[in-house]
Amino acid sequence: MTMRGRILTSPPVTVLLVALAWLAVVPLFNIEPRYLPPLGDVYAEAVKLWPDLLAGFWRTFLETFIGFIAGALIGIGFGTAFAYVRLLERAFFPIFVALQSVPVIAFGAIVVIWFGNTILAKVVIALYLAFFPVAVNTLRGLSGVNPGRAALLSSFGASNWQSFLMLALPSAAPVIMTGLKLGISLSLAGAIVGEWFGDTVGLGVLLLQALYFEQVTRVWVLIIACGLLGALLYGALSLIERRYVWWQFD
Amino acid sequence: MAIRLNGLRTALPVGLALAGLLLAWEAAVRLFGVPAFVLPGPSGILVTIAEKSNILSAGLLVTLTEVAGGFAIGTFIGVALAIVLVLVPPLELMAIPLVIAINSVPSVAFVPLVLLWFGLGMASKIALAAFAVAIVVLLNTLQGLKRPESEAINLLRSFGASRFGILFRLRLPAAMPFLVTGLRVGLARSTIVVIVAEMMGGYGGLGQVIYQATAMMDSLTVWAGVVVASMASLGLYGLLVALDRKLVWWR
Amino acid sequence: MSSEGIQNGGMAARSKASVIPPHLQLVNVWKRFGSEPNRTVAVSNVDLSIAPGEFVTLIGPSGCGKSTLFNMIAGLLPPDSDGSILLSGQPQPDGALLGKIAFMPQKDLLFPWRTVLDNATLALEVEGMSRRKARAKAESLFPEFGLMGFERHYPHELSGGMRQRVALMRTFLFERDLILLDEPFGALDALTRAMMQRWLLDIWERHKRTVLFITHDIDEAIFLGDKVMVMTARPGTIKQTETIALPRPRDASVITSPDFMEIKRRLLASVEEESMKTFALSRDAADRKTMS
Repeated sequence: MTMRGRILTSPPVTVLLVALAWLAVVPLFNIEPRYLPPLGDVYAEAVKLWPDLLAGFWRTFLETFIGFIAGALIGIGFGTAFAYVRLLERAFFPIFVALQSVPVIAFGAIVVIWFGNTILAKVVIALYLAFFPVAVNTLRGLSGVNPGRAALLSSFGASNWQSFLMLALPSAAPVIMTGLKLGISLSLAGAIVGEWFGDTVGLGVLLLQALYFEQVTRVWVLIIACGLLGALLYGALSLIERRYVWWQFD
Repeated sequence: MAIRLNGLRTALPVGLALAGLLLAWEAAVRLFGVPAFVLPGPSGILVTIAEKSNILSAGLLVTLTEVAGGFAIGTFIGVALAIVLVLVPPLELMAIPLVIAINSVPSVAFVPLVLLWFGLGMASKIALAAFAVAIVVLLNTLQGLKRPESEAINLLRSFGASRFGILFRLRLPAAMPFLVTGLRVGLARSTIVVIVAEMMGGYGGLGQVIYQATAMMDSLTVWAGVVVASMASLGLYGLLVALDRKLVWWR
Repeated sequence: MSSEGIQNGGMAARSKASVIPPHLQLVNVWKRFGSEPNRTVAVSNVDLSIAPGEFVTLIGPSGCGKSTLFNMIAGLLPPDSDGSILLSGQPQPDGALLGKIAFMPQKDLLFPWRTVLDNATLALEVEGMSRRKARAKAESLFPEFGLMGFERHYPHELSGGMRQRVALMRTFLFERDLILLDEPFGALDALTRAMMQRWLLDIWERHKRTVLFITHDIDEAIFLGDKVMVMTARPGTIKQTETIALPRPRDASVITSPDFMEIKRRLLASVEEESMKTFALSRDAADRKTMS
């Protein structure tokens, strides 16, 4: 990307540009508030909603975060098992890939039947959604280890465990990171949808209420809040990636 | 990744695993006498699918129409926008921050807004699916269109190719694999967003079937709806994989 | 020196080798892949022996089974059971060679997530040496390998020649008396390659290890080796062994000397004959394909 492109896509500049565009576009095209309310109104609504908004943000974050971490750990575990046990991989991997393309969020309904309107239900949904992309990418990364490097290590007399730690895991790390980034977005979506099946706190709950009372301005506040939460989670992973997993998969 | 189901060597372990899973599930449910509202067995779900085939097939038809409509519109918009942006670089610089901002919002969060705009009918679902697909397709296609190196572009320019010549001979073929990836992600996202929107507010569709059954704690119908939805999206996914082989034969 | 002189030198080297057991000896080594109807023989009937401290270069047309032979010597691939590989006179069963030979593959295969220093110590870490000790040991070699000041850099920040030196250092730090190098300078430009060759000889003369060096560059083979072996086209076997009696230490001027030219003329004829065979083989295969 060019220097100009990189500056324009840096988070603060992006936020600023979008806000400016918003401020300009509403009076310019005379957009009705039921489509896009003026930014000032949205801000006022956010201030009014502040305590609920903060509580909801925190709750949805917790659900997403706990579910994601658990799902990622289990996913990495399964992916590793698949990578080293060929039979497991041949039997279950296609099922996993298929399940990934299924509207897994629909399973959320079942989870809510099992766990009721508890935070656990949302955590389980978030876990479940993060699990598949992480497992699939872990397997992909681990089984794509450069055979030349593997041969080199075994010529040094490395044990399987040493090869795993020194070679397989680091060379799979970029692919696993991709899976984690996919997973965290899905976890957040899962937590929000999970709240719709019934709860009292959370960004999803507020969204549902705003829909019932047809409060477009409030919906916009919540969309921004969801976007912020999504960007924060994704951004945190990207930072970790840039700091610790900056090399490329080959 | 394409799943190749041809060849017994790949199909056999998967088939055995699937059969084993289903059998173990059924056996566990029967052995421990798990009540259906906790976990119905596969046979119970099948029976329910047969019993409720009327509402399920009606719902499936609605959902498939919405997904297909939204998918087609979204793909068109996404590809068209990507081409415009790559032909007019200043526009791209302006559009990118907006697209990034939109893309960081989980697409399900737009559901209430679009329901308020387009009402509870099919239009809102089609709009949501189109939106979800367009964003993914736009980002992927753009990446693909910008893939060719400047040397290759310069080579074509030295042959006297115009901007459009470069687009059709070099950029679009190069973007094809990216477009297909975008379509695949977009398909998954659009099915999810359509079902979620139907759950949140609608007159029909599998999402509505599942949602109503959840409200009545009718676990069997919930499972039946989920299974039908899954099968449908697997079918769509299979179509896309076949399309992938046709479009990107050189891979 | 006449060509007879070179022949005599060869005799002398061989008689000396029979007193001390050869460092590496291959006896009737074969490698066949697949079963009868579509069996390919990659390596057939290879006999060779390398004396301790000797620098042997192996040259042959591309696809002649050099890499297969190499992988067998490194212990990564077992030879077919009718042949054997001996190390200092000891026969080596399958897998026993792993960890006994310092092996450097064609590509540098540096680990992108490790610094230059940690790449160099890879083999030491595999052997269980503590990271601190391994680093201290490697650091002392950096000036000699021309990598001073690059300890904390990552491989992607280095030039091709430097990466190759890091890979060589990694191989040297895996302190085995026998070093296998598979076209280590193949990917470098001609100038860098010539510099690296002289540098490698310098290192070799100081550390006195036994080296088996694979290349497809005749000049390189003659310039470096005490002995040049020529492999035939597939199935690969040793066709000719030429002892290089050029005086050491060798410098760039050796390449233009009459003796060098004479050896090169002879080897070139032999290697070209094999290259033509591979070419003809692939043309035949293409013809067969178009006919069917």
